[in-house]
Amino acid sequence: MPTTTEPTAKTSRKYLATPIFGTAMGLVYLVALSIAGSPVWGVFALAVMVAFSGALLLARRRSETVKGLLDRNDERITAIDLRATAITAFALIAVILIAFVVQIARGQSGWPYGMLGFVAGVTYVVAVIVLRVRG
Amino acid sequence: MRNDVRERRVAKGLSQGDLAQRLDVSRQTINSIETDRYTPSLPLAIAIARFFGVTVEEIFHADHN
Repeated sequence: MPTTTEPTAKTSRKYLATPIFGTAMGLVYLVALSIAGSPVWGVFALAVMVAFSGALLLARRRSETVKGLLDRNDERITAIDLRATAITAFALIAVILIAFVVQIARGQSGWPYGMLGFVAGVTYVVAVIVLRVRG
Repeated sequence: MRNDVRERRVAKGLSQGDLAQRLDVSRQTINSIETDRYTPSLPLAIAIARFFGVTVEEIFHADHN
């Protein structure tokens, strides 16, 4: 009965997922800003994301928390990550709802906050249904 | 949930880091379990009990009050 993920070759590189994603997003920013005619800002955005990804990898060596967040093999830190994500989502949804109400009170359409709130609501309902079915 | 993890770990002469390494969790997690700030999942509770050669009930004590 495994309590944690077995240390296979696949999972041993799991910690690279977030830095790779960060670097990939930096490349996306570079392309997007280059298309928008601001390649210098694109290079800056890429540099920031590469620096952030590198800082994560360095912090992983010194911090158990960062290591746990990147490796995802410690159930307590994974639970903390889930709760932190839920709190983040709650804050984001609160901001979206407030912005939507302010917009419609000003006689505006509420776009894009109404759509964002709709996506958040539908995602929550679908997630509850799927997770309930899966047990 | 109260537990005897600290007493049993010390009796074995292990540090929190040693136990964490044996159970493949972080030292922080062992510390949180020992100080009753974190209740481990059932698989981890069983792994801890098996490590010390006891049953889950012998090491974790549910308070029903």
